[in-house]
Amino acid sequence: MSDSNLSQGDLPKVPVAPLKEKPSRFSLVWLVPLVAALIGGWLVVKALREKGPRITITFRSAEGLEAGKTKVKYKDVEIGTVSTVELGEDLQRVVVKADLVKAAERLISENTRFWVARARVSATAVYGLGTVFSGAYIDMDPGKPGKPMRHFTGLEEPPIVTTGLPGRHFVLESPRRESLEVGAPVYYRQIRVGEVVSYRLQEDGQKIVAKIFVHAPYDKFVRQNTRFWDAGGIDLKMDASGVHLYTESLVSVLVGGIAFDTFDGGLNAEEPAPEDTVFLLFPSLEKAKEKVYSTKNYFVLLFDESVRGLSVGAPVEFRGIQIGQVIDIKTEFDLTTNKVKIPVIIATEPERITFVGALPGGRTRKDLIDYLVSQGMRAQLRSGNFITGQLYVALDIFPKAAPAQIVHNGRYGYPEFPTVGSTFEEVGSKLSNILDKLDKIPLEEIGTDLRDTVKGAKRITTSPELLRTLKSLEEAVNEMRGLLAQWRTQTSPELNTALVQAQSSLAAMESALRADSPLQSRLSAAVEEFAAAARALKVLADSLERHPESVLFGKGQGQ
Amino acid sequence: MSTQVFTARRMGWVSCSVCHLLSSAAPHEDRVEVFRCPRCGARLYSRKPDSVARTWALVLAACIFYIPANVLPMTTVVALGKVQSDTIMSGVIYFIQSGSWPIALIIFVASVFVPLLKLLILAFLLISVQRRSRLRPIDRTRLYLLTEAVGRWSMLDVFVVTILVAMVNLGALATIQAGPAALYFAAVVVLTMFAAMSFDPRLIWDVLEE
Repeated sequence: MSDSNLSQGDLPKVPVAPLKEKPSRFSLVWLVPLVAALIGGWLVVKALREKGPRITITFRSAEGLEAGKTKVKYKDVEIGTVSTVELGEDLQRVVVKADLVKAAERLISENTRFWVARARVSATAVYGLGTVFSGAYIDMDPGKPGKPMRHFTGLEEPPIVTTGLPGRHFVLESPRRESLEVGAPVYYRQIRVGEVVSYRLQEDGQKIVAKIFVHAPYDKFVRQNTRFWDAGGIDLKMDASGVHLYTESLVSVLVGGIAFDTFDGGLNAEEPAPEDTVFLLFPSLEKAKEKVYSTKNYFVLLFDESVRGLSVGAPVEFRGIQIGQVIDIKTEFDLTTNKVKIPVIIATEPERITFVGALPGGRTRKDLIDYLVSQGMRAQLRSGNFITGQLYVALDIFPKAAPAQIVHNGRYGYPEFPTVGSTFEEVGSKLSNILDKLDKIPLEEIGTDLRDTVKGAKRITTSPELLRTLKSLEEAVNEMRGLLAQWRTQTSPELNTALVQAQSSLAAMESALRADSPLQSRLSAAVEEFAAAARALKVLADSLERHPESVLFGKGQGQ
Repeated sequence: MSTQVFTARRMGWVSCSVCHLLSSAAPHEDRVEVFRCPRCGARLYSRKPDSVARTWALVLAACIFYIPANVLPMTTVVALGKVQSDTIMSGVIYFIQSGSWPIALIIFVASVFVPLLKLLILAFLLISVQRRSRLRPIDRTRLYLLTEAVGRWSMLDVFVVTILVAMVNLGALATIQAGPAALYFAAVVVLTMFAAMSFDPRLIWDVLEE
């Protein structure tokens, strides 16, 4: 600051600046923070407005879930972000908190289901391949509208059927699981039309109840009388016409499946089945095609003989046609009488038999079985297979059976159907049949005929013609003997001399052919000569071949 | 420093900020009127008009924008279908976790520390001027110089984002998109630069001359 030493008088002259207009009192620069505040406020308001509900979902595992990164999606549209992933207080489950967008508020209710979408490979398909790169995300299915809810339990497996998928659910019941598998395909005429959604054992453990989903428009093919059967695996059948291999598809061979069809009455026979109709699941197509008889009559049969070979499920036959089956076999020992009784409970399906005409005496169909029993219908154990000893129950008419009746209000809960013993009584009746037949043989007539024959024979033996014939036969034999003696004395010495001559000539021949005989040595010399001649001929042939001209000009001067 | 210092201002002289002509513009008591440069016609003022108020306005605006710049995502990286949005601080944390300390330090200094430092320095200078503080004027002037010098470098972050967006554009494989925070961050940087410009460091010394 050297200028500070200057005095006022030394100051240079500077031009005087003219006045400008008055400045405005208000500075426009304050608009800048105002705008900033407006923008900031707008951001805050926007964030608050867009802030949707915060929900908590519990999962068994937080695999692939990251706080702040994992998204919540619905139909692949992002509707939220996972904010925290923590262990639950009981350390058993993972508590995931997620902030959803405002619009998601309408979606979530008590029926909403959440699950983690990860890449999954099953025998039928590969799902969520995109998540291999993008990471897992939480998927959801809003479900039906219901009460609002903020705490959810996540599914471990994605649901097979989500809301809004057109189609219908049906319920299948089966005594066995068959090839019911969650996600297993449902086929209609070998077209995949649905999936098995879930299956569970009924509370009482008696059967498997499965839920399936059939997609629209195929759900209309499920009718009231549609049959479902297990289409898993391979159906191999061998019969007189060859080997039949049947399967719905290769997938069903691997993972099993369900097929359905409507067999009788055509498509229009019954109305399409409503949602959640209960159907039976048959173990095979054959079984599904079988007629099912709705009415069943139960009877108890009391046998005192051995029922070895009779099993539950054994057929009840009437003249070779199955009309029912054995339901149960029990044993009963009567302590007072020391007798064993075996009650066998059978179920018959009377609809299998067609009845024609009317019963005599004004009886109705209700009295039919009583009438048949009064006519001699009995149950009997019969051997169905001699090798395995399998027994079946035969109902048949035994006209000679002791009269019996059906005991309707017996202590077994079922009407008691009278039986006949299989071995003893059957053999007895057969024996009596044989005796009957024996009885019918005309023994007296046979006796008189026999006597007549004997008489005739006697007459023949005592006749003189026979005596004469025997005498002439003796003469002929004597003559023959003389002839033979003559042949022996005359012919045999000549034959002897001829044989001696033949022997001597054979000895002469043998000496001539001996090795050291002159004939032999001469013969070998002749053979050697012949060989030499053959060699000479060969040499000649060779020289002729080489010099054919030598025939005309003689042997030339050798070279 | 004595209170009686010979200054152009006391003489009623004003240097034109455009053509640097010194002219006499005697200040009125109420300082309502404004003079014109006799040579180039530019507006004359011995101190930047409304310096404190303007700087305050710009600093406040920058402070407001500083919040969304740090809360909202700066970049959105889409790599192999995986979408990841990063704020400035999450990017810094990411680089620390991945072991890239130097990069994390650069981003933190350039994008978080420096803008905040500038805002704090400006606020401190403004308050000290308003309170007519006589404390360490030389140090305060140095702070001001620092603020002005470092101002342009604060745009580093915005530049990095811009380059990344332009370069990493591999279609389905990976793309980087600038997030909304980039805009607010740029606003913060620009506003602090203007705030530093509008502040008149001579105000620091005016108190000492009276």
